[in-house]
Amino acid sequence: MKAYRSILAVLLATTFSTSAMAANVVKIAITGPFSGGSAPMGVSMRDGAKLAIAGINQNGGINVGGKRMKIEIVERDDEGKNDRGALVAQEISSMGDISAVIGTVNTGVALTGDKYYVEKGIVKIITPAAGSASMTQWSNAGTRNLPIFRFAAYDGIQARMVVEQAIKMGCLRVAILHDATNYGVSGRDDLLRQINNQGGRVKVVTVEKFAIGDKDMTAQLLKAKAAGAQAILIWGIGPELAAVASGKQKLGFRVPMIGGWTLSMSNFIDTAGAAGNGVLMPQTFIEDESIARAKPFIQAYHKAYGVTRIPSPVSAAQGYDAALLLAEAIHEAGSTNPSGIRESLENLKVAVKGCIADWKKPWSKWDPSKVETHEAFRRENTVMGKVQNGHVVLANPADKIVLQGKMLNK
Amino acid sequence: MFAGISLGLRENTVERIVRTAIFIGLAALPALWQGQYALGLLTLMAVYGVLLIGLDTTVGYLGQINLAQAALFALGAYGTALAIGAGASLPLALAAGIAGALLPGAALALPALRLEGPQFALSTLSFATLSIIVLNECESVTNGALGLSISRPLLFSLPLDATSFYWLCLALLFVAWEASKTLFRSRFGLAIEALRDSPTATDALGIGALRHKVLAFAWGSALAGLAGGLHTMNFGYLQPAAFGYDLMVMLLLGVVFGGRRSQWGAFLGAAVIAMLPNLLSNRTLFSFLVSFGCVLTVVPPIRALLSHKVPLFRQAAPAIAMTLAVTLVFFIPNVEEWRKGIFALFLFAVVVGFPNGIAGAVTATLRQFIHFTPLPILPATGGISSSKKTEGIALRLSDLCKSFGGMRAVDNVTLDIGQGETLGLIGPNGSGKTTLVNLISGLYTPDSGSVEIAGKRPVCGSLMSAFSAGAARTFQNLQPFHGLTALESILVCQQGGGESEAMGWLLAVGLEGKARIRCSGMSYGDLRFLEIARALSTRPRLLMLDEPAAGMSKPDIARLIELIGSIKRAGVPILLIEHHQNVVAELCDRVAVMDGGRLIALGTPNQIRRDPKVIEAYLGADDTERDNMEARQC
Amino acid sequence: MNLDFLALAQMAVSGGLMGMAYALVAYGFQLTHAAGKAVNFGQGELVMLGAFTGLSLSGCGLPYWAAVTGAMIAGALLGWFVERTAVRLALQQHNEGWVLLTIIVGLFWFSAAENIWGREDKPFPVPWPESALDFFGISVTWQELAVAAGALGMMTLIELARRYTMIGIAVQAVSADQDAAELCGIRSRTAISLSWAVSGIAAAFAGTIIGPVTTVGPTMAAALTLKAFSVAVVAGLGSSFGLLLVGVALGASENISGFLLGSGWREAPALILLIVGLALRPQGLFGKKIIRKV
Repeated sequence: MKAYRSILAVLLATTFSTSAMAANVVKIAITGPFSGGSAPMGVSMRDGAKLAIAGINQNGGINVGGKRMKIEIVERDDEGKNDRGALVAQEISSMGDISAVIGTVNTGVALTGDKYYVEKGIVKIITPAAGSASMTQWSNAGTRNLPIFRFAAYDGIQARMVVEQAIKMGCLRVAILHDATNYGVSGRDDLLRQINNQGGRVKVVTVEKFAIGDKDMTAQLLKAKAAGAQAILIWGIGPELAAVASGKQKLGFRVPMIGGWTLSMSNFIDTAGAAGNGVLMPQTFIEDESIARAKPFIQAYHKAYGVTRIPSPVSAAQGYDAALLLAEAIHEAGSTNPSGIRESLENLKVAVKGCIADWKKPWSKWDPSKVETHEAFRRENTVMGKVQNGHVVLANPADKIVLQGKMLNK
Repeated sequence: MFAGISLGLRENTVERIVRTAIFIGLAALPALWQGQYALGLLTLMAVYGVLLIGLDTTVGYLGQINLAQAALFALGAYGTALAIGAGASLPLALAAGIAGALLPGAALALPALRLEGPQFALSTLSFATLSIIVLNECESVTNGALGLSISRPLLFSLPLDATSFYWLCLALLFVAWEASKTLFRSRFGLAIEALRDSPTATDALGIGALRHKVLAFAWGSALAGLAGGLHTMNFGYLQPAAFGYDLMVMLLLGVVFGGRRSQWGAFLGAAVIAMLPNLLSNRTLFSFLVSFGCVLTVVPPIRALLSHKVPLFRQAAPAIAMTLAVTLVFFIPNVEEWRKGIFALFLFAVVVGFPNGIAGAVTATLRQFIHFTPLPILPATGGISSSKKTEGIALRLSDLCKSFGGMRAVDNVTLDIGQGETLGLIGPNGSGKTTLVNLISGLYTPDSGSVEIAGKRPVCGSLMSAFSAGAARTFQNLQPFHGLTALESILVCQQGGGESEAMGWLLAVGLEGKARIRCSGMSYGDLRFLEIARALSTRPRLLMLDEPAAGMSKPDIARLIELIGSIKRAGVPILLIEHHQNVVAELCDRVAVMDGGRLIALGTPNQIRRDPKVIEAYLGADDTERDNMEARQC
Repeated sequence: MNLDFLALAQMAVSGGLMGMAYALVAYGFQLTHAAGKAVNFGQGELVMLGAFTGLSLSGCGLPYWAAVTGAMIAGALLGWFVERTAVRLALQQHNEGWVLLTIIVGLFWFSAAENIWGREDKPFPVPWPESALDFFGISVTWQELAVAAGALGMMTLIELARRYTMIGIAVQAVSADQDAAELCGIRSRTAISLSWAVSGIAAAFAGTIIGPVTTVGPTMAAALTLKAFSVAVVAGLGSSFGLLLVGVALGASENISGFLLGSGWREAPALILLIVGLALRPQGLFGKKIIRKV
């Protein structure tokens, strides 16, 4: 009976207590889909962030108000599902001792979960989810003192680059293809908005949709072909993108294919094979060891996780830099208090040397009428990448300077 | 072995006390266990509870794999969201959610519930896929894949915070639970139970299969809609993709894990699917639970070994699965990555170890240790003397024909049964007797010819229509309602009247002492008598008994003769198929003889016995056949 | 007009050829349903494991045909394992538990594959060229031809074995009447196990032939399995010829309705037809009507 009671006590303690505040650690949560379809992005992001955190801990942790504090990671898999994401957010925000959150791949998860962080004022850096809605929901609601920051080239920027690229290549009749998920549909809307901004120069000849798991894109492509499309602007994820590329090749439909950053994922490049060559997409990071700034990170990632290629290099690099920025903000805030961290993220004093760029004050004070205040990336940080023989290279070699650039000023 | 404790209470009362206590505890929990997360989980559990109680109506009570519940949940959620968008108040929005699921659910039920097994599963699956396509594509209404964001409306101009919303969900769960329980304990519930065992018998006895199925499905859909409405208000954001196949599988597993045909099961299943994915976050607790489960599962195989038997695979399988789960939990560095695999092992152990789910296993254990006060048995009233006296011709068959392939099973049969007459129908095996009864009772559609029962012409090939005209029958191959007790079997069949009347029918066939025994536990002879009682309780204008004495012992046959005699005296016309010569001779006014689908003779028992055509049909030229027949007559 | 006709023909051909893959997976459902009145709701996971096994084997340097054979052996073992551990138990207990047990075993395979091979989709290398052939303006890839030929070949082979070998006939006897077959000295349990193993072979083979099209990943066969299930039920769970017809029709109809109604609606007409069709003809298009006996 006694034993039973003590077991019960342990159980109750472990279930119900918000675990005792360990004074010498900073707790950071990493959330994202670590299983399921978007796992490559979630896992790369997580592993990139963990790499940065491991580096910080090796150097004795963060100096918070004169005290060295190590970072402790809490990982939660949201499976890319909205309601699971909401529960994860509820759990993390009720833990009481989480200083900040990094993560989210799926925009829907941000839409269901982030409100719980906002209620508690917990800082979250969204990466690599790019859907516009995860920030615009707060500007539409007129939220003040928003603790949500984004560290990804959001779809608005990407769509603009894609449309500009199409114009540059002289493709003024375009077909839009997108997947049926939140990501694809919101990408479509961003593309249409950007095309509209170009004032009638570009004509959309057809808008076609495909579902996750579709492998036969003949119908969509034939429609685009029949409508006389000169380029395919596409928003989707790996395997379906590859099906489009192969379908294009099969039908002998030789027009440029330009789309969101997910075209750089290995599951697109590998699957599409030769059909993928020449596909263009905006990139914030390229897994190219000849870029001096990126080399140490790429090598460290390969070594730590025993791979020769990062599943989603952009996610990994963004996760890495986001963790570095967060650590700097905690250091500058001098406390693990979320509202302090928010304020210092909005006013970072020291430039953080990341694997993507040197980040100098990437965010500024939140203004609901300007989502850019909490968006880290600008058009200028982003380059066009191109698939070439199984690798992503710079579409325009002159852009190398952007990725190597010393400073990014706002 | 173990005497057990007697509580002096009925099982139902105990269940209600325990349930109320648990609900009070759950309602008080937010005060003890603070935090958004706990509330979020509890709310989710309550919402899933409503949803799974709904799903259990089809998966449990109807016994069909329903893959549409997640989609109905989605339709309910969108119904509520759109109503909120249009400015509806909270109760109105929930009503819109219920309607949003109920109407398409009922529309699906009509075609789908004519199907069974894989066909039913597929049509619900198609419906689910179709619903998600519609939600995705009608962007102007649903905002498609981008999703709908809504904020929780006021309840009677009061804002609901997380805790009060949780209480609302809990209260609705309680209501849904109580309503479902009441529904499935009523005659409606008995009918559902009965039609799962024998849809043919329920139709032939006028209980009506399709009507009940559609109603049950509609009830399940309504609960899905209610749950969907609550879900919308809980999360405030909806996206069609969230209601896909994954969620459906999860719900299905939840119901089976908890235990089918039980609101407790649905509730436990809901608790598990709400909590389990989050349990892994707490490794200590999780390891403890897995180890505890493992210890539970090794008991049966060890018991078998101790009594020097090789444990059956069925006994050992859960232990193997749980051991594997424990190995994974303790030796894999990142358990999160194996989460689905560990759940699969968990579920495997439960489904194999407890086929009736957790709720079923717990109930069975409790029943072993606690003696509940049995339900009282009311005194019998009514009985055979209250049967309907039929005026005029009871049955008129004209030129009835039915072929199967090239075989003429019934060939131009014309036959009458007069007022209060008992007609014997005899003939060698395969002569078409049962086919004839199947034609009369509407199980088969005749190729030509007509059937008239008590002056009415039922729709051909409709059991229900033949029943409405006044036909009731028993079956040569018994069609008992295994899940029901003898008393319930009558209650579900009789048209009006309560337990006393039902007891009257049981008394008439001599089963009054077995009223509370389930059919699955009754003897063959008892079941034959019960089938007669079932048919009688519908107060038929024509009673068809298909070989009632087959397989009966001698004393039972004597009882049977007496019973049929008293039915006859009450004025009920009877069509009696029988091989036992003495039964036919003693009871029948006239005897009809069939051979090769044709009616070859009709007359009094004495005339028939001497008819050369009959003798030839039965005896042919072969002596062994005669021996067989004589043996049968004993 | 001419272009439209050509476009429609192109889509019918592309869809139809993929529909052959539905038919092959559906055939796996049919085999187990005939033998033991149960189907594997985790068949998609067997397809996926077959593809992964084939991929790993060719990664070890084995030639393509050897990798495919290896995958088929793995498929047979897995099919047998599912029957032995899950289905037989549930059928002994006389309930619908087998539906759930097969789903559960599938869930376990899924998780195991995620952890063994990773969550990413991987390409499946094939010995034939990636280029397309042109038949009167309709382009067909070698890969599509391989899917169609493989599906047709495998189904023919199994069907011949079922009809003309002693073992095949014994299995058919068990499908017709288990008790009667036992009385004739056929071990029905073995026959059922065998059917599951063959069904596993069909699934694994399907994995290796569609792997190059769909890429190989844990979720590769999820959509495919649901469609195959539809094909199996609509065709009537009893006719292998019917499966091919329905599979091809479904594949082609999806493409054409996607073209005509907009790609989001591509599955809708087939689904509506399916619900209505089943209500009118529960036994399926090519199934035999069941007479209720009492």
